[in-house]
Amino acid sequence: MPNSEVLLVEDNDINRDMLTRRLSRAGLPVITAQDGETALEIMRTAQPGVVLMDMTLPVLDGWEATQKAKTDPTIAHIPIIALTAHAMAADRERAMSVGCSEYETKPIDFPALLAKIYQFLGAID
Amino acid sequence: MITARLGLQARLYLASASIVMLFAFNVATHLWGSYARSESVLAYRNATEATALVQSIQQGLTTEHQRVQVLAALRETNAPIRSTQRDQANAELTAISDQLRGLGGLSDVQTEAAFRDFYKVSSDLLNEWARFYQNYNNGALPTQLTAAIYDASVDKLRLLADKQNAVALERSTVIDNTIQLTDRITIIAFISSITITLILILTLIRTTNASLFRLRVGVERFGAGDLTHRIDENRDAGEIANLAQTFNEMSASLQTAMSDLNEARADAEAANEAKSMFLANVSHELRTPLNAIIGYSEMLQDELSDGGAIDRDQQHHDLTTIIFSGRQLLTLINDILDLSKIETGKMSVSYEPFNVAGLVIQVCDALSPLLAQNNNRLDLNIEAAKDIDIDSDAAKVQQILTNLFSNACKFTKNGTITVDASVENERFTLSVSDSGIGMTEEQQAKVFQAFVQADSKTSVNYGGTGLGLAIVSNFCDMLGGTVALTSSPNEGSRFDVSLPVGPV
Repeated sequence: MPNSEVLLVEDNDINRDMLTRRLSRAGLPVITAQDGETALEIMRTAQPGVVLMDMTLPVLDGWEATQKAKTDPTIAHIPIIALTAHAMAADRERAMSVGCSEYETKPIDFPALLAKIYQFLGAID
Repeated sequence: MITARLGLQARLYLASASIVMLFAFNVATHLWGSYARSESVLAYRNATEATALVQSIQQGLTTEHQRVQVLAALRETNAPIRSTQRDQANAELTAISDQLRGLGGLSDVQTEAAFRDFYKVSSDLLNEWARFYQNYNNGALPTQLTAAIYDASVDKLRLLADKQNAVALERSTVIDNTIQLTDRITIIAFISSITITLILILTLIRTTNASLFRLRVGVERFGAGDLTHRIDENRDAGEIANLAQTFNEMSASLQTAMSDLNEARADAEAANEAKSMFLANVSHELRTPLNAIIGYSEMLQDELSDGGAIDRDQQHHDLTTIIFSGRQLLTLINDILDLSKIETGKMSVSYEPFNVAGLVIQVCDALSPLLAQNNNRLDLNIEAAKDIDIDSDAAKVQQILTNLFSNACKFTKNGTITVDASVENERFTLSVSDSGIGMTEEQQAKVFQAFVQADSKTSVNYGGTGLGLAIVSNFCDMLGGTVALTSSPNEGSRFDVSLPVGPV
C-alpha cells in the first residue's frame, strides 16, 4: 500500500501551522518535523510519500538533510520538494544539485505546490 | 672590470682620450723619424759638397803648383808674363781662395781644427803664389818658392778630407741607427695602438652591452609583471646607473599603484559581494512574512468561500498572525530605508526631552513576545535612570534599544537578557547583555558594518539582514555618543551605549 503521507519540515511556527492546515484541508495526511535531523528519522520510520523541506533549519539544515537522505538507500527514493525563501537562481540550482526533485519559493503558490505533490504521489501509485 | 663602474659618457671619454694619446705618440715617433731622415739627407749633401770642393781645391792647387813651377823655371830666360796672363792667374787664385772659404762654411765642430790647419798653410801658399805673380816681371824682387808649403797644404788637405770622411761615416751610422730605431718604434707603436684601441673598443662594447643587457632583462621582468624585481644599480655608474635607478623607481611606483588598485578592486568586490548577499538576505526576509500573510489570507478566503462552519477564534488567530507578519515586514522595510537615509546623509536628528526609564520599559514591553520566543528571562535595572528626562532623539534611542534587545533575544536561548539604564555625569548609559552564543573577535570587528552579519550562516540560523547593528552604530554617532561591544563565543555579548544627555 503506497503511503500518501506528506512530511512537512519547517521550523517557523507560523508557516508550519499555515501549511499543515492547508494541506489537511486539501485532504492530505500531514506529519511535521522542525529540524533536519528529526526529518531524517521520520522519513526512515514513516516512509512518507513526499517531503516538503524548508532549507533554513536548525540542527541540520535542509541542504544537508536532503544530501543525507539521498545517500541513505532506505529513503533515497522519497521525492523531496524544496520550500525556501531563498529565491535566487543559484538557490534553485543548489537545491536540485543536493538532490531535491522540485523547488518551490516562498511565498508559496499553493495550487502549484499541490499539483507537484499529487504528481509525485501519483507516480508512486 | 673598472669600465663597468664608469658611466657611459666617462667610458667614451676614456676610450677617446686613450686613442688620441696613442695617435699623438704615433705622430711624434713619425716626426722624429722624418727629422732624422732630413738630417741624414742634409749631412749627405754636405759631405758630397765637401768632397767635391776638396777634389776641386786639390785639382786647383796641383794645376797652379805645376804652372808656378814651369814659370819659375822659365824666369831664367827672362820672358815676362803678360798682364792678361797675370790677371787670369790672380782670378784662378781668387777662385781657389773662394773654394777654401766655401769649404770652411761646410766644416763643423769636428772638422774645424783640421780645416784651420789646412786653411793656414794653404793661405800662406796662395799668398806666396800671389806674390810670385806680382813680382814675376820685376827681376829685382825674389820669387823664391818654398816647396814645403805646397806639400804641407796637400798633406793638410788630405788630412781634412780624411777627417771629413770619418765624420760623415760616423754621422751616417748614427742617423742610420736613429732611422732604424724610429722605424721600429713607429711599427711597434702602430701595432700596439691598433691592438690597444681594439681592446678598448671591445671592452667598451662588452661592458656597455652587459649594462644594457641587465637593463633589458630588468625591464623585461617588469614587463612580465614581476614588479618586485630590482635592477642592480651598484653594478654601473653614471647614466646607466641613473637609468637603472629610474626603472627601479618606475617599478616601485607601479607596484604601489598596482597594490592600491588591487586593494581598491578587492574592496569593490567585497562591497559588491556584500550588496549581493544583502539583496539575497532582504529577499529572504521579505518572503518569510509574505509567505504567512499570503498563505493565511488565501486560507481564510477558502474557508469563507467553501461555505463550511466558521471558527471565529481560529480566524481571529489567523488575522493576528497576518498583522504580526505585516508589521515584521514594515520593520524590515523601515530598517532598509533608515540605512539608505543614513548612507545618503538624509537622516536628521530631532531633539526633545523624554523620560529614559519610561522609554526602556516601553520597548521591553513591546518586545516581550520576542523575549518569550526563545524562553529567555528579562533582568531590568533602571533605578539609576528613574524620573530623569534627557534631551535627545527619542525615536533613535528607542530604535537603538529595540535593535539591541531583539538581537539579544534572537541569539540567546533559555537564558537571561539584562538591560541596565543609568544617567550620571551628563551621560546616559544603556547596556544590553545576554547569555547567548557570543562572537569571536573577528566577528566583533565586522559586526557594525552594514550588510554584514557575524557569519554567512547567521541569517540562515537566526534571520535578520545585518542592518540592526549598523543602524545602532550610525545613530549613536549622530547623537554624539558611542557603542562598545564586549563578547566571547558561547558566553554572550554585551553592548554598552553611552550618549550625552543634551544636544551636541
